[in-house]
Amino acid sequence: MAGRAPLAGIRVADFTWVWAGPFCTLQLAHLGAEVIRVETSTRICVTRMLPPFPRHEKPHFNRSGYFNQYNQGKKSVALDMKRPEALEVAKRLCAASDIVTENFAAGVMDRMGLGYDVVHGLRADVIMIALSGYGATGPDRDKVSYGPAQVPLSGLSSVTGYHGYPPMHVGVSYGDPTGGLHGAVAVLAALLHRARTGQGQYVDLSQWETSMAVLPEPILDWTMNRHQQPRDGNRDPQMAPHGVFRAAGDDRWVAIAIEDDAAWQRFAVAIGRPDLGDDPRLAGVVGRKQHEDLLEEAVAAWSAALPPEEVTARLQAAGVAAFTATTNRNISEDPHLAARGFFAEQPHPEVGVRQHIGVPWRMSESDCRVRAAAPCLGADTDQVLRDVCGYRDREITALREAQVLT
Amino acid sequence: MAGALEHLRVLEVGDLVGAPYAGKLLADLGADVVKIERPGSGDRARQRGPFPGGVPHPEKSGLFLYLNANKRGVTLDLETPAGQGAFDRLAAGADLLIHNVHPVDAPAHGLDYARLAAVNPRLVVTAVSPFGATGPHAHYRGPDLVTWSAGGVATLNGDPARPDLPPLRVPGDQSGYQAALNAAIASLGSLFARLTTGRGEFIDVSAQESVAAILELTFEYWPYTGLIASRLGAKPIQPLCFMECRDGWIFVCAIEEHQWRQFVEIMGRPEWAEMELFENRLARGANFDALRVFLQEWCRDQSVHELYEQAQRRRVPFAPVSTMGDLLGSSHLKARGFFATLAHPVAGPVTMPGAPYKMSATPWTLRRPAPTLGQHTAEVLAEAGVDVAALARAGGC
Repeated sequence: MAGRAPLAGIRVADFTWVWAGPFCTLQLAHLGAEVIRVETSTRICVTRMLPPFPRHEKPHFNRSGYFNQYNQGKKSVALDMKRPEALEVAKRLCAASDIVTENFAAGVMDRMGLGYDVVHGLRADVIMIALSGYGATGPDRDKVSYGPAQVPLSGLSSVTGYHGYPPMHVGVSYGDPTGGLHGAVAVLAALLHRARTGQGQYVDLSQWETSMAVLPEPILDWTMNRHQQPRDGNRDPQMAPHGVFRAAGDDRWVAIAIEDDAAWQRFAVAIGRPDLGDDPRLAGVVGRKQHEDLLEEAVAAWSAALPPEEVTARLQAAGVAAFTATTNRNISEDPHLAARGFFAEQPHPEVGVRQHIGVPWRMSESDCRVRAAAPCLGADTDQVLRDVCGYRDREITALREAQVLT
Repeated sequence: MAGALEHLRVLEVGDLVGAPYAGKLLADLGADVVKIERPGSGDRARQRGPFPGGVPHPEKSGLFLYLNANKRGVTLDLETPAGQGAFDRLAAGADLLIHNVHPVDAPAHGLDYARLAAVNPRLVVTAVSPFGATGPHAHYRGPDLVTWSAGGVATLNGDPARPDLPPLRVPGDQSGYQAALNAAIASLGSLFARLTTGRGEFIDVSAQESVAAILELTFEYWPYTGLIASRLGAKPIQPLCFMECRDGWIFVCAIEEHQWRQFVEIMGRPEWAEMELFENRLARGANFDALRVFLQEWCRDQSVHELYEQAQRRRVPFAPVSTMGDLLGSSHLKARGFFATLAHPVAGPVTMPGAPYKMSATPWTLRRPAPTLGQHTAEVLAEAGVDVAALARAGGC
C-alpha cells in the first residue's frame, strides 16, 4: 500500500451536502482525490448538526459523529454563496477542479450561477455530476426529496416487512449511499474517458433510479408476471431455514441461512438433530419451505441457549452460513475487522482520536485509505483560496472582512 | 456516441449479484465483458428467477437476464487444467478480472492473484467475498442475510413496539449490490492508477464491510457516546411514518415545524392538531402513540397520489409507498425513459430497470441481451487463439 494514490492530482469541487453526495465524494477521497467541500455557516450541512456528539454534549458543527464519518479525508472551505463576491471564488475553484459535484434540488446550481453551462465555460473538460432525488428532467423534477422518503418511493418498502405487516423501512436512508456509490462509478468512468479523449461531461443521477437499479427481482416479477412480491420477513423463496433467530443474551440474535441441501445435512448434525437430517420430507428445499414454521421453532430452540458468537463459530466450523446480527458495538469490537485494518482513527482537533469506519476494500499496490479526519468547518479556506484559487493574502483578508468567507 | 469504457476488456467469474452487478455497471458503459460460467449449470442466478409464469428455466431467470445483459458468455471449467489454460489466454489480454469465487475455493479455480499476475502483470484482479480475503473470518460463508446482519444494518430495522420480532432484512441481496458497487469503484480507481504505473494489482472487497460502511449515523454512537444503536428505539421526532390510505400506503414526513404546519393545513386544521400533546416535534415524538391514531383515522380516507401531490405542492417531502405497478406506471419515469425492454432469444422481450445515470457524452446503453449458457464460447476463445475443439476434448468447456 506504499504505492501511488489512484486519484493523486485529481481535484473535486464538492458542493454536495447531507449524505448521498458526501458519500459519493468520500469514495473519491479514499482513492486520493483532493476533495474540497464548499460549505457555509449561514446554512450548515444538515449532518454537522445531527448526533452523535461526544459524551452527549450539545450539538456543535465540528463534533458530529455523522458528519465526521462521511467526510473523512476532505477539505472544507467556508463560503457564503448568497454574497455576490462568493460566486467569483466558487468559479475560480471550479475552473481549477477536474470534477464538480452537487446534490441540491434540480435548478439550484443554475440559480446560484454555477450551472453546467457556466462551469463548462470555465473549464471545457470538467466532469460535473448532479445527484438529485428525482433527476434533472421529467415532470417530477421539482419535487422535494428527503433521504428516508426515498426508500418507500423506490419500491423497496413495499416488499420489506414482516409477513402480514405494513411496509417497512431499511434501518438507514438506503437511497443515499446507493445513489452516492453509483455517482462515484459514473464519475470514475467519466475520468477514464477523459484521460483517453480529453472530453468532459455532465452526469444526471436520480436517486430514485439508482434505488430501482438494485431492485430487479421484484420489478421483473411485475414486468413478467404482474405479480407484486409479498412482504415475507427474513425468509427466502429458495433457502430454508433462512432467518434471524433468538440467541442467548439481552436482545441478541443470529442470522442463519441454509444455502442448499448439503448445508442442511451439515446443519442438522451441527445442532444435534440428526433426525431432521434423516427426515426425507426435509431433504429438499421444497419440503423445508412447506415445514418452515416448525423448522424455525427447532432452530430457535437450539440457538436461544447459546450466545450468537457461539452459534456463529459452531455453524461456520461446520460449513453453514451464520453470523451474529451485529450492533454498532459488536462491529467496533470485531477482531476480524480489526485484523483487516478496517477502522480509521485519525486525530481530529475537536473530538480527538475516535474510531470511524474505513474503506470497505483493500488494494495491494495503490495507496487507498482514510487520509485524515473530517475537516472542521472552513478549516482549509485560506489554503484553498491561496493555492487553488490564486488569491493573494490581502484579498483573502478583504473577503473575510466582507463576511464572504463564512 | 461510444460508451465511457468501450476500450476496457473485462473478465467476470460471477455468481448471483456480488461480481455480476459490478460487471454490469462496466458493461452498460461500453466495456467488453466476458462472463465465464461453469459448464452445465452456469451462474446460480439462472436458477433464481423470477421466471415467466413462475416456471423455472435457466435462460429465463429475471435476475440473470437483468444482471448479465451486454455481456458475452463463455463456459469454462476452471477446476480443470485445460479450462485454466484457456482462462489464462483470456486473462493475458484482459484489463480487469472481477470474481466472487469464495477465498477458500479461489486457488482451485486458478484465481490466486500471484499466479494471475505472472500471466498478466497489467491485470487488475478484484475479488468480492462475504468477509474479505484475509482475517480470522475469511473462510466464513455468507449469503446476503448473513452478511447484511454481520454488517449491522439488520439490527437497525424492526418494530420498536415488538421486541419479540427479530432484526429484519431487506429483500434482494442488498449486501451483494453494495459490495458490487464498491468493487466497480475500486476497479475503476485502480485502472486509473494503471495509466501511470502500468501495473495491475489485487483488490479485496468485503460484503460485510460494504454494509458496515452504510450505517449512517448509528455506528458512531458507540465510539462517540457508548450507546448501542437498536431497532427498538422510538423515533425522537415525528411524524416520520407509514400510513394506510384508502388505496395504498404513504410515507408521511412532517418533522420540521413548517412541514407540520403545512400538513395540518392539508388536513383542514382539525381540533386535535392544536392539542398541547402535539405542540412541537419532540412532543409529537413523545406522544406518537396518540398522534398515530389521529393521523391514521384521517389518512384512511385519502388517496395516496392526491395526498402526495398536495404535500409536495407545499414543499413537504411525503412519498408514496410505490408498488412495482406504480413504478412501471410513473409518468416521470416514463418521461425519463427509465425502464428498458430488451428481446432475448429464449425469454422474449423483458422489461427491466434501465440507466441509473445519464452521461451526456458517453451514454449508458443496452446493446445485447444476456447470453445463453455458453453462447459465445467458440467466438471468444477463437479471438484468444484457443483451439476450442481440443479444449472440449480435454473437458475444459
